[in-house]
Amino acid sequence: MASFKAFLNSPVGPKTTHFWGPVANWGFVIAGLVDMQKPPEMISGNMTAAMCIYSGLFMRFAWMVQPRNYLLLACHASNESVQLYQLSRWAKGQGYLGGEKDKASSQ
Amino acid sequence: MATSKFQALWNHPAGPKTIHFWAPTFKWGISIANIADSTKPPEKVSYPQQIAVTATGVIWSRYSTVITPKNWNLFSVNVAMAATGIYQLTRKIRHDYFSEEQAAMAKE
Repeated sequence: MASFKAFLNSPVGPKTTHFWGPVANWGFVIAGLVDMQKPPEMISGNMTAAMCIYSGLFMRFAWMVQPRNYLLLACHASNESVQLYQLSRWAKGQGYLGGEKDKASSQ
Repeated sequence: MATSKFQALWNHPAGPKTIHFWAPTFKWGISIANIADSTKPPEKVSYPQQIAVTATGVIWSRYSTVITPKNWNLFSVNVAMAATGIYQLTRKIRHDYFSEEQAAMAKE
């Protein structure tokens, strides 16, 4: 109970934007997980590649910002994994990485 | 005079020698990707992803004004993200809900 109260009142707790900013970023992870069920033709190569670089940089940002933000770090580490996976699905669908290009798709 | 202003920027706590500069600078890639995708057919736009982009843009616009160091680069990029996310969402919603109405009316 005491540690929960400590969390509620902490400088990176739910009363602060330092909490809700990273919570919003978990949206990308959830969106990525939901989109794993979709066919690769629906994946945007542009957006997924941008996300991979973005999460890589933001893992460093989360470490260096004041106050240090572990929730943000965890979020971007997860997003990096999900987006790299989606990028590999997209690349295979396009015929890179030795996958067969789907001839029916108009890319 | 020009050099000292340049030096002030160069050595700024959120300047180009720090992650506080490069992370937000790279985040523009998300908005640019969204602008590049704005000509793609709405069927290919992903609701979950664009909702995440918009929500992130809005909440982070606030976050960037309360972290240390205060980061206007991060603020501006998140405002842009929210704007491109909203644009993609309106395109898709219009396509999914409003063009159906027109098709239904045409049938009547």
